[in-house]
This record gives sequence, C-alpha cells and structure tokens, in this order.
Amino acid sequence: MNNIYMPELMEVIGIQQHTADVKSVKIRFQDPTATDKFAFRVGQFGMFSAFGAGESTFNICSSSNWKDHIEFCFRKTGMVTEHLWQLDEGDAVGFRGPYGNSYPMEEWEGKNLIFIGGGIAMPPIRCAIWYALENRDKYGSISIVYGARTAADFVFADELDQWAQAERTRVVRCVDPGGETPDWKYEVGLIPHVIERANIPADNSIALVIGPPIMIKFTLPVLDKMGLDARDIYTSLENRMKCGVGKCGRCNCGPVYVCKEGPIFTLDQLNRLPLDY
Amino acid sequence: MSEVILKETLLQLVNAWIAGGKVVSGPAFVKEGVCLYTDLRNAEHLAMDGFIRPGDSIKKYFFPRHEKIYHYARTGQKLELTNAELTPQERIIVGARPCDAALLPVLDKVFNWDYVDDFYTLRRKATTIVTIACTQWDDQCFCTSVDLSPAAEKGSDVLLLPMENGYEVRCLTDQGRALFAGKTTVSENAALSPEGPERKFTEEEIAAFLREGYENPVWRDIALRCLGCCACAFTCPTCHCFDIVDEGNAQGGSRAKNWDCCQFNMFTMHASGHNPRANQAQRQRQRIQHKFRIYPEKFGETLCTGCGNCTRNCPVSLGVLNTLEAIRACGTTANTVENTGGLKE
Repeated sequence: MNNIYMPELMEVIGIQQHTADVKSVKIRFQDPTATDKFAFRVGQFGMFSAFGAGESTFNICSSSNWKDHIEFCFRKTGMVTEHLWQLDEGDAVGFRGPYGNSYPMEEWEGKNLIFIGGGIAMPPIRCAIWYALENRDKYGSISIVYGARTAADFVFADELDQWAQAERTRVVRCVDPGGETPDWKYEVGLIPHVIERANIPADNSIALVIGPPIMIKFTLPVLDKMGLDARDIYTSLENRMKCGVGKCGRCNCGPVYVCKEGPIFTLDQLNRLPLDY
Repeated sequence: MSEVILKETLLQLVNAWIAGGKVVSGPAFVKEGVCLYTDLRNAEHLAMDGFIRPGDSIKKYFFPRHEKIYHYARTGQKLELTNAELTPQERIIVGARPCDAALLPVLDKVFNWDYVDDFYTLRRKATTIVTIACTQWDDQCFCTSVDLSPAAEKGSDVLLLPMENGYEVRCLTDQGRALFAGKTTVSENAALSPEGPERKFTEEEIAAFLREGYENPVWRDIALRCLGCCACAFTCPTCHCFDIVDEGNAQGGSRAKNWDCCQFNMFTMHASGHNPRANQAQRQRQRIQHKFRIYPEKFGETLCTGCGNCTRNCPVSLGVLNTLEAIRACGTTANTVENTGGLKE
C-alpha cells in the first residue's frame, strides 16, 4: 500500500547553531536514488520527524539549486524541537515533502525584490534570497531588511555579510531598542520604522514579509505608503499542521487549507481570508 | 413490482455471512440503552429496533479512532521504518442508517484529493454497506434539512426499506447485488417511502448566514455553553480531523493517527503560543463554517448528514441543529466584515 504519511530517512550532515536556541540542520537522503528524484521550489515546506517525539513543519530553507542536500532551521521550543536539538552528525531524521505552494520566482523576474524578516523568520526568506542571488541577472535590486530582538538573535548572520557583498544588493540590519551591544554598528529600531528610514525604492518591486504577526501588522501600512500593491506583498503563513497533505483539517483558514493552497499568500489574498492565522 | 426479502431470510443471510468468514457489523446494544455499531456475533446480536440510531457512526470502520501508520526502531545512529501494511478485512455493515452511509461519498473527497490516503480507501473498497431506512426519528434528526431523507440511497450498496414482515431490497451497486443475488423474491407491493423529520432549514439559508454573519455575536452566546469536550465531533459521521503522534520513545515505537477535533484549544496553537482560534466562539464558528460553507465550496458536499448525534451526545445539548436554529433566529443583519477579528478580543 502507498503510505502518504511515510517519511524518507535522511542523514544529518551538518549542524549550525545560530543563537542560544536556534539551529539549522543540513540533511541528505540516505538513499542516493531519492536525491536524484527529489526536487522542490523555494518557499515549500516539509514535515521533519524526530522519532519518539513527533513531526514538525518547517520551511526548506536551502535554495532549490542545491541538489545534494536540504536544510531546515528551528527554534528549540517544544517536544520535537527539543529532540532535534540533540541531533548529531550521522543521525537519522525523517522528512516528508515538499508540500505546499512556493514563491513565484519566475513572476518576480525583472522586479526589485524587498525581503523583510523578523527573528526566526529569516530561514523561509533565505531560500528565496539565495535563489535570487544565484540567478542574479534575472532580478533588479535586492533589499534585505532583517530585524531581531537583540544583536545575539540573528539567524544566518554570517550569510548577511555575504549577501551585502553581492551586486545591487543592500542589507539593512536592525535590533529592537535596547537590544544593541556597545559595538553594534547597524540600525536600532523596529522594522516598520527602519524601513521608512531606509528609503527603499518601491517602484516595480515585490516585498516578501515574514515575521511575528505583530511585526507584519505594523509593516504592511508602511509598504502601502511606499506604494506597493497588495498583490505584490507576499507572506508565508505558519498555521499548525500535522498531515501536510490537506487531510487532517488543522491548518484550515476560511476557504483554504494552508498546507495545500498556501503557505505563500499575497496580502491581497489575505485580505479576503478570515483572520484564522 | 419490487424485490423483497423476509426478515427471517435477512437474519439467516447475516448468519450465513458470518459463517462464511466475513466480518459483519451493525447496531447492537452494548449495554442497556446504549446502542453502538459493533462486530456482530450472530444475527440475534443485531439490534433491529428500540433505538433511533446508534450513538456512534460507521466512520470508525474506515477511519479508526486510533491507527498505527508505521513503526520505527533505532540501533545506534541507524533508524529503520516499517510500513503498517494494511490488509483490510472484508466487512459487511448491516443495518447502517442512511445518515451514516451518506458519510462515504462525503469523506471520499477529502481522503482522495491530490494525495490518496490508502488507510481510508482500502477499507472503503473492502466494505459493503447494507442500509436500513428509518421508520422513526426524534427531535434531533434533521436529514431532510441537508438534502437527505430516512430512505436516502447515498453511500449505500443496498438499501432495505421496512415493510410488513420484511424489507424491500434496492441493490444499488454490483457489490450489493452480489450479496443479495438469489435471496430476494419479487412482490407486487413496494415499501412506502418514509417522510422523515420536518425540514428545519435550507442549506442556502445557512450558507447565506455563514457568508454574512461571520462576526455575529451569536457565536459567543452559543459557545458560552460549550465545554469543548468534542463528543460532537467524535460521534459525528463526517468529522474527520486527526492528529499524528508518536507512541514510544526515541529507541522504538510507532507513529499513529488519532481522531482530533477543532473544539480543542491545542488544535491550532502555534509553537510560539499564538493561537488563531483562541476562544470557544471562534472554534464553534469554525466547526459550523467548515461543515456548511468551507467543505461545500471546496468539495461540493455538505459536511453534515443531519444524524443529530452531536446534540444527543453533547453534555450540554448543544449541536449542529440548535446552533443553526440560533443562527437563523438572529438573522443576518450583524457585522458583515470577515477580516476584522471581532471575536479575537
């Protein structure tokens, strides 16, 4: 029988600790033939298993151009992530996916890209950033605004420096007031204010905004003021999921199953959904 | 002209099925006053009257309340997964109510769209449903309000309509015809079609309210009574939300699918602690919205068969029927904006 809930076994080939409670893990298929068959699009998610604790939903935060492995990133916050935190290289984890829709990277070609992330929301943006940088000619200017509570809360901080070196790419880092260290040389302030100050050109642009609900709530009016259309503002919803394939009913939000029709929505689409996210 | 079967012949047939190695399930009294769908020992075990409908539903035969979906075992860094190879037993459900049989075409949609859930579909294929039309109904029954009836054929392989001394037999599928081939006689008489409970609302009426009354304060009033126990969903033929959990420890165990329900606080809670449906009013609204608006718009089927089990099993007598009646009574004049988060405060 075909078991749609059966994960593939993956081998952990790398672990990076980003903050006191955030790690990212590199995994590859134990079965090499599965690697050749596997393909995904940036923005899609997977169900990752720590056997004995359960399964959790994470974005696949590596670029779809990296064929030999995938990465996921998590904050230690519950049973599954507590188990994942203990992983060592060579350990096995389960993976099902890829599921859900993805960023319309082809539609975005020729446009300026504005990426706005808060805290742990960087991983689902990171895959799109790498994808865009790897296809640099196809996109206009890239602006990355990344805010965290304190200077110690940046995820993939080492990659921010690499991105800042790329052509026509600007990185704006900010911490919440009080979160800076004495040697902090970047912005201090909340993301909506920092965006206003940063004078990011908004013509022919799309914005991808991912972060805590409160950040999104106050960032959207700023983008609106900059002149971005609701159809050009994207986000990724974080509804709780169990099956990932539109059966278990959990992620249902008005007319959509976030795992099937989402998780990527435009602001225009969100405006027509009930606030069940 | 119709095909008929005597009651004794039907009971003999049930015994023959059991003797032939089939699993036969049907309504049976498990204790005084409690009738549930049960695997029958013999035809005498089958409850033919003395109840309106069983307290549970036949969905458990396709979508069990607990089911292991695979096993895992660890040795050192090596993990091994073993599929829970499902070879479903051939089952005949006899005496199903029309409001139970009707769940199958409804749940087929969600378990088959895009990804096929074989745990459901394989059991579905191995099961034959012999439905007996209702001759009695109570105040909680409302099949006629959701386009079904006491003699609805939806989902059945055979429909038996009670008549004097026996049943009119309507074989609806090849599977059903195979069961009754040569067992029926032709009669001049046909069973009278039972009329059923009075129609209490129309689906259009409800859909209109659900589109327009999203933030209606009536949800708060309804939810004040709700204890959040989910008896409604677990005894509902069509509620199908589930959880996936691990049983065991890191060294070995199984992963299982368990029934779950949108009325539980934890159902939607994010890891961050944020909960999109944080209060019972939002959760009650979700259940009704899902049944009468979301599912119909998505799959073309109402996620309710009007069986009334939700009300009968509710400790505070809440249920789909009286919720919909409360909704209808308050009209559709209140807040019509869906995206204001009115119940959030």
